Amino acid sequence: MLTQFYLKKFNALYFLVFVLSLLILSPFLSIFISLFGEVTEYFFIIKDRLFELYLFNTIILVVSVVSITFLLGTFSAFLVSFYEFPGCRFFKWALILSFAVPSYIYGYAFTAFFENYGTAYSIVSFFHNSESVNTYIPKFNGMVGAIISLSFSLYVYVYIFSRSTFTNQSSEIIETSRIFGLSTGSFFLKVLIPLSRPAIITGLSLVAMETLSDFGTVYFFNIPTFTTAIYDSWMGFDDTTTANLLSAFLLIIILIFFTTEKFSRKKSSYYDRKLSNKNLKKNINLHGWASFFAFSFCFLLFFLSFIFPFLQMLYWSFKFPEYFFIYNFFELNLNLLKLIFLSLTLIILVSFFVNYALRILNSNFLNSVSSLSIIGYAVPGLIISIALMSFLSFTSDYFNVNLRNAFIGSITGLVLGYFLRFYSVSFLGIQSNYLKIDKKVDESSYLLGFSKFKTFRLIHLPYFKKPTLLISILLVIEIIKELPITLVMRPFNFETFATKAYSFASQDLLEATAVPSLSIIVWATIFIIFTFKFSDSDK
Amino acid sequence: MIIRIIYTFCFLILNANFLVSKEVNVFSSRHYESDYKLYDFFTKKTGIKVNVITGKSKLLEKRIIEEGSSCKGDLLILADAGRMGSAESKGLFQKFNSSVLKKKIPENLRTDYWYSIAKRARIFFYNNANINNKDLKNIDYLDLADEKWDGDILIRASNNIYNQSLVAYMIEVYGEKKATEWVRGLVKNMARSPQGNDRAQILGVAAKEGKIAVANTYYHSLMMSGKKGTEQKKAAKKVSPIFPGQNSKGTHINISGAGLLKHSPNKKNAIKLLEFFLSDKAQKHIVNNTFEYPISKNVNPHPLVSRMGTNFKENNSISISSYFKWQSKAYKIMLENGWK
Repeated sequence: MLTQFYLKKFNALYFLVFVLSLLILSPFLSIFISLFGEVTEYFFIIKDRLFELYLFNTIILVVSVVSITFLLGTFSAFLVSFYEFPGCRFFKWALILSFAVPSYIYGYAFTAFFENYGTAYSIVSFFHNSESVNTYIPKFNGMVGAIISLSFSLYVYVYIFSRSTFTNQSSEIIETSRIFGLSTGSFFLKVLIPLSRPAIITGLSLVAMETLSDFGTVYFFNIPTFTTAIYDSWMGFDDTTTANLLSAFLLIIILIFFTTEKFSRKKSSYYDRKLSNKNLKKNINLHGWASFFAFSFCFLLFFLSFIFPFLQMLYWSFKFPEYFFIYNFFELNLNLLKLIFLSLTLIILVSFFVNYALRILNSNFLNSVSSLSIIGYAVPGLIISIALMSFLSFTSDYFNVNLRNAFIGSITGLVLGYFLRFYSVSFLGIQSNYLKIDKKVDESSYLLGFSKFKTFRLIHLPYFKKPTLLISILLVIEIIKELPITLVMRPFNFETFATKAYSFASQDLLEATAVPSLSIIVWATIFIIFTFKFSDSDK
Repeated sequence: MIIRIIYTFCFLILNANFLVSKEVNVFSSRHYESDYKLYDFFTKKTGIKVNVITGKSKLLEKRIIEEGSSCKGDLLILADAGRMGSAESKGLFQKFNSSVLKKKIPENLRTDYWYSIAKRARIFFYNNANINNKDLKNIDYLDLADEKWDGDILIRASNNIYNQSLVAYMIEVYGEKKATEWVRGLVKNMARSPQGNDRAQILGVAAKEGKIAVANTYYHSLMMSGKKGTEQKKAAKKVSPIFPGQNSKGTHINISGAGLLKHSPNKKNAIKLLEFFLSDKAQKHIVNNTFEYPISKNVNPHPLVSRMGTNFKENNSISISSYFKWQSKAYKIMLENGWK
């Protein structure tokens, strides 16, 4: 009753949220609208010869990365959640650090290490100087390199989601399994994994979406996938229609993933509520070989995913110190802070506004529209920037207003691009937390005579303090790493660490990417440690 | 209040650039750090501030198109003749008259709309320990498809613009049919599935993974300079360059070029900058930092580049503006014949 009453009163709000969701969605719609242009020969080459190759490579890539991240993520989370072994506490948070290494930077480090006369060559020839050293160093072809780079930087998604459910698993289930005489392996495979399925699937869906929308890594390793095909149809053939067709196809695949992910997220919250009791489970102390194995596994994973790229960058920084002095650190850090501050403010404010309005309005139609408007996260940044530019230009012409100067080549435009790309992270985060506040609370508040805004400020907001901080930090890490939107939409003379790293990689001076790459890693690491300490302190 | 102050501060910083009246805005796909120093020289000389955005050529092109008449860009600088042609075909440039540029730049290295500022040659590299010198005598691009080089050729992927321009050049010189046969033969002769950049091909020859690497001249010089570390210098020393086509049509040349954008708001400044690129000082700076060949005859290449060869025969009989005409066709042929 009350909701209906407010619905009438809030028609303007309904309209506003509808228009806002549509505006967020419209750049993506422009991908579908522009499907009907003329295609070039490239379309037919793809159709007749390459489609299968793109599909095959994309499937191989996604399946491999998903499988590897599943194994690495769940097993490492299992070890640190159920056992005590040397370094266990350290690994609990250290294993998240590889999130700070973008997969393209991992790719740079990986290639530089194993290539002919690369870092591995230098190390081996220091001990054994021979002409044939290069032949003994393993060479990874493009696909293997891309799978490894993506897996080591993305397994964190699975690790984080698995660990959070593993930690919440009730001690009774573990005890019962032990009483029934299940071995550790059987417990892990037959009890733990099925029980934690929704959370693991959420993590794996994120991995799959990131892999599908990845451009930097697959391009660097020269693997023909859908994203590289989009790029090539545009760069090589000037064929934007084919590029849009492929984008739309990719978008549909991603939407399917996204729906699955959303479905499992719903389930997951259900599970969490059921399982998250306060019975603290006692971790098992490992001894001897078992302890050594657990330590080695976690150490190796930590080393390969974080220390290895970090050391490669550090090695370059020391080997080529001259590149250290070409950066204007003050300006780069200032630019980063500017972007973080403005984007965060916009993204968080809109997420709160839309979520709160949806809560008051309680309209299924509006809920569906705004759910669609969050596909940005699954769309490659390159496509977002192109779609956004086309949209701005089209709107400017159609309505005869100059949106171009305001958005293309300005910080405002960059912030808008980030907003479209990362809005979903914050929208979904706030939405999932809103679901946990009973609507009766609001109605009681209204009955007490609180206004809508007062209810929001005094009842909701205090609850959101911690989730907002966590969401903000996730956003910050994404913004620090973001490359394609920044590259196209930025104003003159505007550089970030990511654009600098890209610029040196483009002129074949991977060595010089060390300093900006390290800066990205260090910034993101600081935020990750901060998040961990903050979320841990609550326990 | 604090937030308001911070916002005002940010916007002041953002708009600071527009307070300077004497300026020129450059879109460039050249990422060389040394280019920034070159812009500084120009500013010191003329008092004109150079504002820059770097990025991939087609992305810059897209941005310029979408910005339309609101585009603040004055100059577009790209590192490939085909890319310059693409921008020209989309009407991004405007014509202008400059006797300085016409005098300094050979006719085949410019059009009415854009001008070359530096050039490079796409040549072969071989390892003396790995090859019979007799086989290299009078070697030409066509020979890459010869059966005797089965499993010996190292070359990067087909989506690389330098390779697309090379195949476009082959179409222009030999016609589509012969160029297609050539691509087919070359793909058969590849030592491995294409991977890495030009430098990775040179390293491959040094490590004896193949016998002939196809690469742009400056990659080798970059390694020889020690900027890539002592190991890579050591590898580069094992490898020698050879200029293909010396007894036939000549060596394939490509360029970095610049054109004046159609809606350029600072036209005079832009032309000044373009003419400055061709000055002896700027040409010297470019060749000494990027290891490209100069356009101006008054300037010598970097000693490491000169050592490779300066008196080689270029194929001057065709205009590099023809690369654009064939580039899409070239890429199609490459893809259809299995060039990954």
